[in-house]
Amino acid sequence: MTVAPEQTAQDPFWFRECFVMPMPIGRKAINLRELVETLRVVDEWVPYYHLFQYRLSLTYPGVEYPNEFAFWAATALQDNQLAEKLSSFDPFDFANMSQVREALIDILDSYLWDLTYIPWARPGFEFDFCEASTAVIRSKIVAHTLPEFCQALQQVGLDSIYFHFFEARWRLGVREVDDFSFWIEYNFNCPEAVKQIRDIDLYFYSLREIRDELLKIIDQYLGDHCDQAG
Amino acid sequence: MIRLDDYIPIVGPAVVGQLYRLAEHLGTHRLVNINSTRTGGGVAEILSRVVPLLNQLGIETLWEVIEGDQLFFETTKAMHNALQGQKVYFSPEMLEHYEQINRTNAPKFNWQADLVIVHDPQPAFLINEMRSQAKHWVWRCHIDISRPYRSIWKFLQQTVSEYDASVFSMPRFSQNLEHPQYIIYPSIDPLSEKNRELSPEEIQAVLDRLGIERDKPIILQVSRFDSFKDPLGVIQAFRLVRRHTPCKLLLVGGEATDDPEGPKIFAAVQEAASGEPDIQVLMLPSDSHYEVNAIQRAADIILQKSVREGFGLTVTEAMWKGKPVIGGAVGGIVLQLQDYYNGFLVHTPEGCAFRIRYLLHRPQLGRRLGQVAREFVRDHFLITRTLRDYLTLMILVENPDSRMFEL
Repeated sequence: MTVAPEQTAQDPFWFRECFVMPMPIGRKAINLRELVETLRVVDEWVPYYHLFQYRLSLTYPGVEYPNEFAFWAATALQDNQLAEKLSSFDPFDFANMSQVREALIDILDSYLWDLTYIPWARPGFEFDFCEASTAVIRSKIVAHTLPEFCQALQQVGLDSIYFHFFEARWRLGVREVDDFSFWIEYNFNCPEAVKQIRDIDLYFYSLREIRDELLKIIDQYLGDHCDQAG
Repeated sequence: MIRLDDYIPIVGPAVVGQLYRLAEHLGTHRLVNINSTRTGGGVAEILSRVVPLLNQLGIETLWEVIEGDQLFFETTKAMHNALQGQKVYFSPEMLEHYEQINRTNAPKFNWQADLVIVHDPQPAFLINEMRSQAKHWVWRCHIDISRPYRSIWKFLQQTVSEYDASVFSMPRFSQNLEHPQYIIYPSIDPLSEKNRELSPEEIQAVLDRLGIERDKPIILQVSRFDSFKDPLGVIQAFRLVRRHTPCKLLLVGGEATDDPEGPKIFAAVQEAASGEPDIQVLMLPSDSHYEVNAIQRAADIILQKSVREGFGLTVTEAMWKGKPVIGGAVGGIVLQLQDYYNGFLVHTPEGCAFRIRYLLHRPQLGRRLGQVAREFVRDHFLITRTLRDYLTLMILVENPDSRMFEL
């Protein structure tokens, strides 16, 4: 099924831009035990940063580990077994950050339980705990049609993609639903595009790749009219 | 004059467009930067670029410089070293003089500002004299302060605590402070002499002038002759490589600085390199940015085998030039390089030699690492990012208690 490029949405899509600045809390962990103990006592914004927002701070090319804890286990502790376990940890399985933190600590604690030693970070690779401040600004970039939406996707920063595609799931409390597919679902009769967007495994794509993927999907249903903004 | 729009071909219209939108959102704002020198050093270099660009964005931005005498600058140099961990004795007279010079400077500044960013310890004490002249005060520390000498940090901490926030270059440098601490990563300017694109003819002309032949693959390290940069370890690594694969080593450093260790290390490097025609040691004037740019672009592999490092902007520069980089696993280098993605981290001369050989035999991999490295720098460590961070900081200082808010 295709969508006519000129079809107008009932509600336009207003893009938000978000500006994230990491805030170190002045604490670090030099081994796995310290990581667990500190995670128990820090504010919930700290695990939130390392699970979600770190993508906006320093993202490595070719996303391999979906959160900073898994990345740290692999590169700093050089413990592949733990990195594998943490890579499969999905914070969207839980209703709030308190449960997320508990589940994360449970993984780390049970891993430590079976070890006869404590894994230590390589020198220089200590875990620096951070939280972040995020300013969300309603931009003047708005889309009324799908071609306008495609054009706007290329105009906004990658943090906008993060806010609407990644952070939205936590905000809306529904793992599968992001702002983009939500808007398309309610404004255009194009369930296949919605499904394809919701099938993107967001953990394994960089924000730039996600943007390209979104453009590709929408383009299919517009009959290659993605670049024809109204 | 460089215009903000000159960066569009490099970072894309989305990044520059976002800066305009962010600045428009901020509206009328006056930002004042204060440091202690207008020329020389990384802080002056970045301010000389950032200040005009912020003004172009419509943010009225001033750059003030404090003046001091010899004793003041000796004291603040010692402070700098002590914040980096050196044990230095400060007499009460030195500290009193530091405060006095700040007091003497204060009356010269008679603006009112929305935000004042005070760079490094030299002008930090000004806040005690000028608090009412700005809504918000932020201390921007460019120094590796991960393990400061306790007595000087205790002294400085009293003043820093007066600020509304601090900004550090890496999470590792953050301190136990009551106010919000933010991270702004250092950046490079892709349009500066040190980093701008050069034609093959320009590169060759520099090589000809400096007597550098391209008869073998070039391994390069650009750094001061300083034991923390481990030039002797680099030579050791090179000798290990040469047993297997032909190549040449270029060690390029600036002229002897005020570092008393410099000439000693330089002599040791020359001795270690003697009798080896494939090692070239070049001492260039400290403003040879254009030459360094050309040499980096001519190199096949770039090393920064430091054993201690702040952020390591030389690594950023090499990555921006699309080169495969091998760096010591220390300081900010570990934030920039990741094995097999955009370079290699090493811990020993042997490890360095191993990775050089690996890359020499896999030039395709080297090219791929270099391309990824360039994109990584484009996303995170260019001056446009610093502009964005400054603008964001101006918003955040007005909302210090909120971790997520919509405007």
